[in-house]
Amino acid sequence: MRLRTLIPTGALFALPAMAGLTCFVAIPFLLAIALSLTNLHLASPLPVAFVGATQFVRLFEDPAFIRALLNSLLFAAVVVPLQTVLALALALLLNRPLLGRALFRTLFFMPVVFPLSLVSVIWILIYAPGPDGMLNGFLQFISLGHWQPRDFLHDPVLALPAIMLTSIWQGVGFQMVIVLAGLQNIPEQLYEAACLDGAGRWQRFWHITLPGLRNTLIFVMLVTTILAFRLFEQVQIMTHGGPNRATATVMFEAVQAAFSRQQVAQGAAITVVFFVVVVAVTLLQRRLSVQVPREASR
Amino acid sequence: MRRRLVATMLSYAALALLALLFVAPVLLMMAGSLKPEARVLTEAGSLKAFLPGNWTLQNYRDVFARVDFARYLGNSLIITGSVVVAGLVVNSLAGYAFARLAWRGRRLLFTLTLAILVLPLEAIAVPLFYQVTWMGWRDDYLVQILPFIANAFSVYLFYTFFVDLPPELEEAARLDGAGPLRTFATIIVPNSKPVFASVAILSFLGQWGVFIWPLLVTSGERVRPLSLAIATFYTLPPLQWGDIFAFGVMMVSPILVVFLFFQRWFVRGVVATGLKG
Amino acid sequence: MASVGFIDVSKRFADGTEALAGIELRIEDGELMVVVGPSGCGKSTALRLLAGLEQPTAGELRIDDEVVNDMAPQQRNVAMVFQNYALYPHMNVRRNLEFPLRMQKLPADEIARRTAWATQLLQLDGLMERLPKQLSGGQRQRVAMGRAIVREPRAFLMDEPLSNLDAKLRVQIRGEIAALQRRLGITTLYVTHDQVEAMTLGDRVAVMHAGRLQQVSAPQVLYERPANIFVAQFIGSPGMNIYASRLQRTDNGLACAFADHWLDLPPDGHANLVAAQAHIDRPVYIGLRPEAFARTDVDVETLTMTVKAVEALGHEQLLYADIPQVSGENTAIRLPALPMIAIGDRLPLAVDSRRIHLFDAEGRAIDGEQA
Repeated sequence: MRLRTLIPTGALFALPAMAGLTCFVAIPFLLAIALSLTNLHLASPLPVAFVGATQFVRLFEDPAFIRALLNSLLFAAVVVPLQTVLALALALLLNRPLLGRALFRTLFFMPVVFPLSLVSVIWILIYAPGPDGMLNGFLQFISLGHWQPRDFLHDPVLALPAIMLTSIWQGVGFQMVIVLAGLQNIPEQLYEAACLDGAGRWQRFWHITLPGLRNTLIFVMLVTTILAFRLFEQVQIMTHGGPNRATATVMFEAVQAAFSRQQVAQGAAITVVFFVVVVAVTLLQRRLSVQVPREASR
Repeated sequence: MRRRLVATMLSYAALALLALLFVAPVLLMMAGSLKPEARVLTEAGSLKAFLPGNWTLQNYRDVFARVDFARYLGNSLIITGSVVVAGLVVNSLAGYAFARLAWRGRRLLFTLTLAILVLPLEAIAVPLFYQVTWMGWRDDYLVQILPFIANAFSVYLFYTFFVDLPPELEEAARLDGAGPLRTFATIIVPNSKPVFASVAILSFLGQWGVFIWPLLVTSGERVRPLSLAIATFYTLPPLQWGDIFAFGVMMVSPILVVFLFFQRWFVRGVVATGLKG
Repeated sequence: MASVGFIDVSKRFADGTEALAGIELRIEDGELMVVVGPSGCGKSTALRLLAGLEQPTAGELRIDDEVVNDMAPQQRNVAMVFQNYALYPHMNVRRNLEFPLRMQKLPADEIARRTAWATQLLQLDGLMERLPKQLSGGQRQRVAMGRAIVREPRAFLMDEPLSNLDAKLRVQIRGEIAALQRRLGITTLYVTHDQVEAMTLGDRVAVMHAGRLQQVSAPQVLYERPANIFVAQFIGSPGMNIYASRLQRTDNGLACAFADHWLDLPPDGHANLVAAQAHIDRPVYIGLRPEAFARTDVDVETLTMTVKAVEALGHEQLLYADIPQVSGENTAIRLPALPMIAIGDRLPLAVDSRRIHLFDAEGRAIDGEQA
């Protein structure tokens, strides 16, 4: 009996991938939801029970978690616009027919290739306290000696910005390449027509470039937002959430809860909150970008 | 005319300055890996950070003396290689099935696949960990490979590419008597090199640096990949930055070399995500 | 409204291609000048030089006798209609029309007045809120024209504006463009590769080939007195038939060789007998348009041709025939639709010798004047 008559070929082709996605993505996700409604605590003698929304209530009463959530939101709120603007600026600079353009593009894209764990370790030295630290040395140099060396990674105010800088350094090349492709998709004739219509350089940027890049920029910001919420490696390696949870993020807290404290259910709950936040922000961004009109009519 | 010249020069200046800032950490790592240990820290605060001075390979020797670097490298290659290769097969078949074959449930499953795109690894890492632990799986290659083979994004990339292929190719194959699998293998795949290259590169890039998963599921050095090893090496006393940099250089060299040679494909892969987005 | 001039303009691109060589062209105020030529002849380059989108390597560009070489496109006050229209995709029709006026910082009521005027003139009512992608090809073309005329520019530059339209639409809009230009009286430089467009639209037509002007005349002059073989073969569909020939003195005047006959050249025909004297016994070329042949039953100095291909056009037929004594390409012949000729027929045809054109060995018309 031919298998093909029993099961359509298409289903067979898709089977391995669908099985994999179900088993390793869909089920864990559902499991997370299920676990978050229990009180599973691996080091606790209490029997496992269904507790409804208790975990979530507990989470939102926990100042540590609130702090982590705020940190994640703050991180995203700063990194997304900064990284996008920087990516746009770099792409604009690279969009002219300059000699050595390919070299520059390579240099800006190179950090993307570095694993985040390696990036984190390197930047620990860059942020080293004292005048021997590279960033301290650099700031002292350009401020002509006025800069006082700081211990970035242990400073409650500077630690999160330090991680932001590291993340932007690593990620901007990726966005730049996408924006550059978007720029090159804008037909040259539109610029020529605008030129003849009397538009100067800034006007051409505002009326031709930005609208032409609209979809690209929306996409870039969306991806950066999701990546921003996933922040984990830098926190784990560079600051371990400190000082005093100044750099703790949602994912960091999830791993801490589940592994350091054996609070499985709470870890799962944090994961669910993470997912909800990401989806909410994504939808919000999409809604906002749809409403931003093309040139607003009078 | 002169205005254009000034603008060009300013662009160059800006680019050069930014490029230097960008490349500084990389140079720091490379130069530091070649310096005698004593000087790495003391020179980090000045321009001398970038000049090795007396070159020495001692740091590299130290790395091999202190840890089993070759093992970590081997692990990374095995894990990443398996995920990429298996992923190309599994995800392309699924992408093709969605794009070109008719079967019941196609539309529903495709919608669900797209829905999964929103889920990053982090959203499911914790529960997935418990799942595999409960299944008795830990601390081996399989647990680091299997969960990552099926990838919703790769399926989507393959789908969008296959959808745009001219149907005449398959029709001709069908008339010649080829079944779906043979058509796929001998007609579709050879004509889809760009998407296979893009997916391979993106998946390699993504998998090589995965940190949180090996952190959760491995203990001990046996199957630990490079991405985790650098972090544990950093915490291994004594703290020798020269050694750490040497480790870093060796760790990033394979992917850097692949990147420099296949740059065009890297960029094309990245752009593919942007265009489809 | 202004006159436009190219004074010895040349353009060489960075890769060495010489797009234009020594172009001298003057377009009068209010004139519609068509520049026509095959792809790559440099006509679009000339247009772009005038717009300021490229810089000439040598020569002067003048608008209203003012040298504009160093003026930025924004300052030249010329409007261009691009081949692909180049409408701003994210702006609706209204905003597209208003854009150039906003760039000039005109007051709001002036902007509204001009927009309304252009809308009415080009019949764009009802389309104002649509985006370019929601418009048909013909509508987009009109919006592109609208955007050009709201500026009340000194000159219109049109870069093959009809190429992207289907044949019927092309004919209709061609007429609209001609009417619009006449009505507004704006100096227009119109570039096309289609010689039919050139002939129907232009007050004068400039034929261009390989970066050089071949002839600048009114359309009919171009047809009846082509300055060289290129123009003779380019203008007219199909173009003029050209044959190698020689001249010989006869008792009555001059005769030219054609298919083993000597055809007398009448004094009242296209050939300039006085100028031709200098070319006796030298190789020349003669040209005969497809309508210079006619059927004849009378056995008078006829040529017998074998028909190789027939194109029946309804009102006439085009034959492509092989004249045995003449080597080279088939001769194109235009005959009335009936009686219908079939492939392989052997036809006796006579030549109207008043319609013989003479060209010298270099291809220039022998008519005693330079092109």
